[in-house]
Amino acid sequence: MTASNLRECAPVEISDKEVMAAMRAMHGYIDITPADFKAVYRVAYALAKERMMNALKAADLMSSPVQVVGAGADLITAATLLADQGISGAPVTDAAGRIVGVISEKDFLRKMGAGQNESFMRVIALCLRNKGCVATAMVNRTAGDIMSTPPITAPADITIGAISALLMEKNINRLPIVDADGKPIGIVTRTDLVNSLCMLG
Amino acid sequence: MNFFEKMKGHTQSPPRVGSVEILWSWLGSFMGIAAVGLIHFKLLEQTSLMMIIGSFGASAVLVYGAIRSPLAQPRNLIGGHMLSAVIGVAAHQYLGALPWLAAAVAVATAIALMHATKTLHPPGGATALIAVIGGESVHRLGYLYVLMPTGLGAIVLMIVALLVNNLSPHRRYPEFW
Repeated sequence: MTASNLRECAPVEISDKEVMAAMRAMHGYIDITPADFKAVYRVAYALAKERMMNALKAADLMSSPVQVVGAGADLITAATLLADQGISGAPVTDAAGRIVGVISEKDFLRKMGAGQNESFMRVIALCLRNKGCVATAMVNRTAGDIMSTPPITAPADITIGAISALLMEKNINRLPIVDADGKPIGIVTRTDLVNSLCMLG
Repeated sequence: MNFFEKMKGHTQSPPRVGSVEILWSWLGSFMGIAAVGLIHFKLLEQTSLMMIIGSFGASAVLVYGAIRSPLAQPRNLIGGHMLSAVIGVAAHQYLGALPWLAAAVAVATAIALMHATKTLHPPGGATALIAVIGGESVHRLGYLYVLMPTGLGAIVLMIVALLVNNLSPHRRYPEFW
């Protein structure tokens, strides 16, 4: 499912049969035709979806404060930090604390020979074929060398709907939230989004 | 969509109601019309007053047979009938020399006014029409027609509806006031 066809996602289409069955279950004479009922339902549903998408902002969901990695940090330090914190990625900042990129599992995997697909299984396959692992080649590199840049970021007042669209469109799993100076103040991950949508639903 | 395509129809009727609903509808309308009927034929026998008009038959369909309909609610029943009665009497008094015109203006204006005041009630159209074509016994009442039979008769129908429609656990009335 691509970003474009997801936006075309129609609300749950209820059928005439379902409407008739529902009306039958109501006992009395319901003075509306199935078509009119569906027309009202469709509009009300779209409005409700709109309301939900705008109800929450990044500030309501983000993890804060956010763990960052310095651009000059070596990869052993960076990887250890991510592992210790139990996170799969983090914003990369310059000496002034401004965001300059994002480092994540994907960036490591790409350098390990996973290529375009960036999957762990690809690396395992290569590892097994080459009878060795290729992470050691990176040991002298820094976070700044392998990070994804420029970083995709958003301000704290971005709506949950816009966040959702952004993660989908750019194919990313985390969105650093930055202040006016470009300094990370929080982060919203794909998991945060899923959890919040479950709460709304 | 072209003019004639619009006439094709595009959906279906709501489902048929169950037998129990039919029974309650019969009972409610029997009691309602019996009430206005008894007042009209017994209480008002010696007078020139009326408590029953044709449009009450139409109201009974709604307030006992389609009690959830927005058109069957008390505001529509009372408001719709009374506003339409005023329009009907006025149409007769000013345009009565041309009965076809008075009738048409009465019904059309009653509908417009009911729409504007959110009191749309189909039998209101009949009440307005009867004010014009109802003959001497109706014409003689003048604006009293608005109160009797129209207003009071509608109130009697409503009281019976409040009592009978709420007897069944599956039914409730009204939806709103």
